[in-house]
Amino acid sequence: MATEHIEAHEESHPGPRQYVIIGIILVVITGIEVGLFYIEANAALIVWLLILSSLAKFLIVVGFFMHLKFDDRRFALLFFFPLLIMVSLVVVLMALFSTLTR
Amino acid sequence: MVALANIGLIPRPVHPTGVWSWLTTVDHKRIGLLYGFTALAFSILGGIESLIIRAQLAAPNQSIVSPETYNSLFTMHGTTMVFMVVMPAGAAFFNYMVPLQIGARDVAFPRLNAFSYWVFLFGALLMNFSFFVGAFPDIGWFGYAPLTTNEYTTTGATDYWLLGLQVMGIGSLAAGFNFAVTILNLRAPGMTLMRMPLFTWMTLIVAFLLILAFPPLTIALTFLLFDRFFDMNFFNVSAGADPLLWQHLFWIFGHPEVYVLILPAMGIVSDVLPTFSRKPLFGYPMIVFAGIVIGFLGFGVWAHHMFTTGLGGWASAAFAGSTMVIAVPTGVKLFNWLGTMWGGSLRFKTPMLFAVGFIAMFLLGGLSGVMHAVVPVDTQQQDTYFIVAHFHYVLVGGSIFGLMAGLYYWWPKMTGRMLSERLGKWHFWLMFAGFNITFFPMHFLGVIGMPRRIYTYDADQGWAALNALVSAGSLVLTFSVLLLLVNLAISLRRGEKAGDNPWEAPSLEWATSSPPHHYNFAVVPTVRSRYPLWDEEANVVEPPPLPPHEEPHMPSPSYWPLMLAFSIVMLAVGLLIWQWHALIGIGFIVVMMVLGLRSIYGWVYEPPAVEAPAAVHAHT
Amino acid sequence: MYFDTTVDPHRTSTGLNNRKMLMWAFLGSDVLFFGTLIATHLVYRGQSLVGHQEDIFSIPITSISTFVLLMSSLAMVLALSGIQRGNLQTMRLWIAVTAIFGAIFVGFQMFEFHEFVQEGLTPRTNLFGSTFFTMTGFHGAHVTIGVIWLWSLFFASFKWKAGTETALHVEIAGLYWHFVDIVWVVIFGIVYLVGAYGAEDRLLPPVSALGG
Repeated sequence: MATEHIEAHEESHPGPRQYVIIGIILVVITGIEVGLFYIEANAALIVWLLILSSLAKFLIVVGFFMHLKFDDRRFALLFFFPLLIMVSLVVVLMALFSTLTR
Repeated sequence: MVALANIGLIPRPVHPTGVWSWLTTVDHKRIGLLYGFTALAFSILGGIESLIIRAQLAAPNQSIVSPETYNSLFTMHGTTMVFMVVMPAGAAFFNYMVPLQIGARDVAFPRLNAFSYWVFLFGALLMNFSFFVGAFPDIGWFGYAPLTTNEYTTTGATDYWLLGLQVMGIGSLAAGFNFAVTILNLRAPGMTLMRMPLFTWMTLIVAFLLILAFPPLTIALTFLLFDRFFDMNFFNVSAGADPLLWQHLFWIFGHPEVYVLILPAMGIVSDVLPTFSRKPLFGYPMIVFAGIVIGFLGFGVWAHHMFTTGLGGWASAAFAGSTMVIAVPTGVKLFNWLGTMWGGSLRFKTPMLFAVGFIAMFLLGGLSGVMHAVVPVDTQQQDTYFIVAHFHYVLVGGSIFGLMAGLYYWWPKMTGRMLSERLGKWHFWLMFAGFNITFFPMHFLGVIGMPRRIYTYDADQGWAALNALVSAGSLVLTFSVLLLLVNLAISLRRGEKAGDNPWEAPSLEWATSSPPHHYNFAVVPTVRSRYPLWDEEANVVEPPPLPPHEEPHMPSPSYWPLMLAFSIVMLAVGLLIWQWHALIGIGFIVVMMVLGLRSIYGWVYEPPAVEAPAAVHAHT
Repeated sequence: MYFDTTVDPHRTSTGLNNRKMLMWAFLGSDVLFFGTLIATHLVYRGQSLVGHQEDIFSIPITSISTFVLLMSSLAMVLALSGIQRGNLQTMRLWIAVTAIFGAIFVGFQMFEFHEFVQEGLTPRTNLFGSTFFTMTGFHGAHVTIGVIWLWSLFFASFKWKAGTETALHVEIAGLYWHFVDIVWVVIFGIVYLVGAYGAEDRLLPPVSALGG
């Protein structure tokens, strides 16, 4: 595995302009989240929307600010494999403690 | 503030021999030896603890020790054997052998490696230090909260237990990171993942298990620490806490931990069997994938330690299922090992004996393990000696036999001298007999109802004869271990010279001198097959030993790993002082935080080498 | 044995940098660290017998501190972009901005903790207090360590030459910093917003809504 391979990727990194745009997107999503919070509506819908918007922000930061979208796939594996285990653990623990059905 | 950059500029230590050379070493081989000696020392301690237990239980209604002391004995026996014997013994081998097996000069982060060892040692000493301030921990190696909260414990020994474990956990995490990166990144040219020796493969999986399993334990211990020290409510049932929270968090760590203990042994056996069968490992990819699957599934079976807590129907069914599934990859490995021996030209040297013993004993432990996947059976056997029999078959018949195979196999590489085959065979057969006499009757004791963790029993309960047999067996086991110590001592004194490759083994650690130079390989070999020393036998090229001025530049020793580890354990001591006197404790903690920060800056800004600008350091 | 003397001794098998790989492995481990903290908070949600719970949150104030932390992430990536383009001056500017924003975030957190204690919620009050203060406290500690790290880089950088090696120092600190940011994204979304949304009328713990 040669190092040119990685440097080729470096070229495709976004520049400061794109970073600022991404930053604005993140702020907008946060604004939407806070807005959602003040809406009286079906609780399930709002909760799901809040979870999905948090997930979107999470993926944007990891993908662009941490360059995982452009970087080597093996870094992504090092990060997302533990994440997969942890998300499963959280869901199973919540189910075991009956938080999901209470 | 430029001064900040200068604070690391204390010259690096230069002692080639003596105490300071060991305290400041960053050589993976020396660190491996340190781990090995430490494990051996603690195994004597843990062994003595178990012998007192067996003396107490040898006959009904004895009172050699008090019930309280008995609780301390089984607690410290378990904790010592798991965290201070089997784990560091595995670490000793993967420190010493993995860089050699992958054709590297050292690990990816040599100073981090030294730090792992020191922080482990200090944590272990801190835990055992409780002996000198009143009482040993008496809460079981699992330390179930809420029984370990202030309300239900009488001594401060629990604080030493949890702080000691917390500190040791930092060492395990650091070792996990280090070896994951080392194995992924420092392989010799041509050594693809699927050409790595099996021991290296299993170490890679163990590294990831450490990385992923220790954080939940760290958090659980932190919760307990906050409850005990600062009156928080994590395990305070009267405030609505769930009494099962600790059990879940502990076993989410605890089950992967079981694989941390057994996978290195499986790796050793998978390297020993081909060597002494003169035959490539049968189904190499299957053994690798089975190891990966075991590591992954290990995170999904924890609640089988908790069937009797009333998890509910579907949860019990799910964990029973996952527990049965995890037996499959283990079975795959067993058949592959048998397939390796099938049709080979077998040489029953001592390492081979232990490897074959491992297969048989681990099979028994595995079978009784699968029985516990059946919830009604588990309910019957929970907290009886049947469980004690089961996990000793896995951890002694499995892990320890595997580690013994590794010791006999690699001792000539580490010391340059052979062990006596005659004593070795005596050691094996006595250990095999003693182990089975000790632990096999425990199956029966469990089935006829003898509970775990009781300090004595009545004569009319019908357990006396088997208990006497068990205690007798433990003496045989002890005697066999003494034979090992004699064998090691004789070998160091006047053992036969080993040569580079006494076993005609196929992997790279045998392609250098015994013991290896501090730089491992004069010229790093290029690997073209899974068994380089077998496949390339025809064109062996011995690189000549290097003149000193041409030796590869190795990272220089360093004070900072020792200093940082010291400041971390002293932070834990600071918390203990805080219990006694708040102001002094906090002051102590602040001083140690400063020392820790100083050590980190010293570490970061340390000049790379004593003299020459060691290029080796550039990629660390 | 076969020896190929043309191999560069400083290559890595994967072509990936050791330290960067170490940082990613550490972050994977930290996922489980924070995951366990958040999981405990979630399974104890609504279980406290006395005292304040999610009703104590001030969403407007926490929204501002969330905004500050998001902006610090933006500043961090601009610092990296600066040094990767060989401009140490730009890098130092944005590193300082990142560290200051991080410190402001910690300030907000200290203010929040102070307010909660004033209103009678301490780590000893109830389960919510224990899990909330421990979880956000560990996050705050991570931010604080990050701030110290960033200032160390700031001052060290006066001796630097721009290049791959120094850019790597900034990149690795950046990975850590962004990770701390995404942990907060999860805490803000799941613990604050979802938590407080259900707490409005103190019905059921809101996660129950997921079950339909």
